[in-house]
Amino acid sequence: MRRVLGFAIRRTAAAVFTVLAMVTLTFAIFWMIPGDPASFLYPNTQHVTKYEIKRADHLLGVDRPKYVQLGDYIWHLAQGDLGTAWTSIRVNADQKVVGLPVAPPLINAARVTGSIVLGGVLLVLLFSIPLGALAARFSRTALDRTILLVTLVGICLHPMVVGLIMRTFFGDDLHWLPPTGYCNFLHGSAAPVAPQNLGINAPTTCGGPIPWTEHLILPWISFALLFLAIYTRMIRTSVIETLRQDFVRTARAKGASENRVMVHHALPNAGIRVLTMVGLEIGTALGIAVYIESAFGMEGLGRLSVSILIGTLALDLPEILGVVVIVTLIVVVGNLIVDILYAVVDPRVSAFGTRPKETLSGRVV
Amino acid sequence: VPAIGEAQSDAYGRLLPPPAHTKTTLLILGADGPLGRDELIRLLDGGRTSLEIAIGGMLFALLFGVPLGFVGGYFGGWADAAVSRVTEMVMAFPLILLLVMLSVRVSSTLTPIALQPLIAPGVFAVSLLIGIFTAFYPARLVRAQVLTLRETEFVEAEHMIGASSWRILSKHLLPHLAPTLLVWAAVAIGTNMLLEVGISFIGVGVQASTATWGGLLSTTWGTIYQPQVYSAAKFTIWQTLFPTVVIMLTVVALNQIAEGMRSALEPWETA
Repeated sequence: MRRVLGFAIRRTAAAVFTVLAMVTLTFAIFWMIPGDPASFLYPNTQHVTKYEIKRADHLLGVDRPKYVQLGDYIWHLAQGDLGTAWTSIRVNADQKVVGLPVAPPLINAARVTGSIVLGGVLLVLLFSIPLGALAARFSRTALDRTILLVTLVGICLHPMVVGLIMRTFFGDDLHWLPPTGYCNFLHGSAAPVAPQNLGINAPTTCGGPIPWTEHLILPWISFALLFLAIYTRMIRTSVIETLRQDFVRTARAKGASENRVMVHHALPNAGIRVLTMVGLEIGTALGIAVYIESAFGMEGLGRLSVSILIGTLALDLPEILGVVVIVTLIVVVGNLIVDILYAVVDPRVSAFGTRPKETLSGRVV
Repeated sequence: VPAIGEAQSDAYGRLLPPPAHTKTTLLILGADGPLGRDELIRLLDGGRTSLEIAIGGMLFALLFGVPLGFVGGYFGGWADAAVSRVTEMVMAFPLILLLVMLSVRVSSTLTPIALQPLIAPGVFAVSLLIGIFTAFYPARLVRAQVLTLRETEFVEAEHMIGASSWRILSKHLLPHLAPTLLVWAAVAIGTNMLLEVGISFIGVGVQASTATWGGLLSTTWGTIYQPQVYSAAKFTIWQTLFPTVVIMLTVVALNQIAEGMRSALEPWETA
C-alpha cells in the first residue's frame, strides 16, 4: 500500500507538471503569433489608433512582462479561476473590464462529452470483450474471420458519417430516438452559453435519466463502432498470446474446461491490457467526440474547443488556455486513475511505471 | 466543349442529361452534387490527392520521428527525458485539436507551397502538419528498440573499434529498425487517410476545388459547423457510398499489407 501511495504521489507531481508545461507552451505559441487583442475591445472599429491598441493591451494585461503574465495565470489557475473570455469583454462605466467567465460553459460542455465518452467506452467493452474472446477461442476459423471483418468496417467509416447516417434514419426519418440535442441527467437547467455558441441549438432545458439516455443512445453507438474494431483485435491478440502460456497449459492439464480457462485465466490478462489502452486513448476519444457532437448537434467540449481554437476575431487567449487546461486535465487525471488502478490490479508490476507493450495500431482519426 | 467529367446544366443550375452524341462524359457513378462534376473522375483524382497527403504525412513523420527516437534512445540522459516528456505531452492531447490550432494559423503561409501541376496547393501543408503531430509514434518505436539494441554486443564491438555514433546509428542500428518502421508506415498511411477525412470535416483541409476522399464526403455531409442532414432532394446515397468504399478498400488493403509484412519480417510476433 505504501508503495502504491508513493507511486500515486509521484504520478500526481508529473501530472501537475504536464498541465503547467501545456500552459507555458500555449503562452509561447500566443507570443509567437502576432495577435490582435485590441480587436476584442473595439470590435466595430475599422482603424484602431495606437492609443487604443496600447489601452487595450493595458486593460487586458498583455503589456506586462511575459513571466508576470504566465505567473499571474498560474496563480489564478491554482485557485480554480480560468479568467474572463476576451470575446465577451466590454469596458463598463468605471473604465473596468467586465466579461463572461471562461470556465462555466467549458465545464458544462465537458459534462456532455463525458456522458458520450463514458457510455461509449462502456458499450465498447461490453461488446469487444466477448467478441475478442470468441475470436481467440475459435482463432483462424470462419467465425474468427467474420468477427474481424465485420468489426473492421467500423474503422473504415468516419464517425461523423456514421453519426449523420444514424441520426438521419433513426432520428429524422423513423422518429425512434431524438435526432439532436442533449438532456441533463438530473434536472433541466439553462446551460451557460459560450460566446462561440453558433446558435445551432438552444440551451438545454430538459432533464432526467430517461431523456438523457434517449438522446445519447445514437451517439454511444456511433462512438463505439469506431473503437470496437481496435479493441476486439487487441483482446483477440492478447488472449491468443495468453493461451500459449505455461500456466494455461497447467490449468488445462488440471482438467479445467475451456470456458473456465478463458474466463479465469486468459481474460483477466487481456483486461489489464485493455485498461492501459483506455488510459492511452482518452485524448483520441475527445477528438472523436468533436465529430459525434457535431453530427448530433450537441454543445460538447470537442466542438466548443474546435470553435474556440479556430477563433472568430483574433486569438482569445483566456479561452484557448481554458480549453488546453480542461482537456489536459481530463487526459492527465484519466491517465492517473488508470496508472494507479494498473499498479493496484497487476501484482506482477513491482517497478511501477512500466506498462505492457504498446500495440502498433496508433491513433485512428 | 465540355471537358471530361463536366455535366451540362441549364440556366437554373439543374443538371441536364449528358448529350447523346458525345462520349466525353462518363458519369457512370453520377454527379457529385450541385456542381454536377463527374463522381468517378472526382473519386479517381481524389484518391491521388488523398494518397499524396497520407504518404506525405507518413514520410514527414519518419523524417522528424526517427532522429528524435534515435536521440532519445541512443544518448539517454536528459535528451531522452526531454524527448519522452514532449512525446507524452503531445500524445496525450487530442490530435485533431492540435491540427486545428496550427492549421488555421500556419496554413496561409504553407498552402502556396506546391509543385504544380504535380502537387495541388494545400497538400504539402496538410501532410506536413499530419507529419509533425504523428512523428511521435515512430519516435517511440525507434526509442524503445534503440534502448535495447544499445546494450547488445555488436554495438559494444562497434564502440571498441572506434566507430562514430553516426556510423553506428546509420549503418548498424537503422537496418534493425527497418522492419518495425515498414509495418508502421503501412498502418500510418491508412490512419493518415482517415485523419484527412477528419480534417476535411473540420473545414481546414485542402481547398474544396481539389478533390480528396475526405473532401468528397464533407461536401456531401457538410462541416462540423453545418452538418447536412440527408435529404433525397439534395444528394444520393452514392455520394457517401463510393468514397466510403474506396477508403475502406484502401485502409483494409494497407492493414493487410502491414499484417503480411509483420508476419514476414517478424515471424515470432504473429498471433
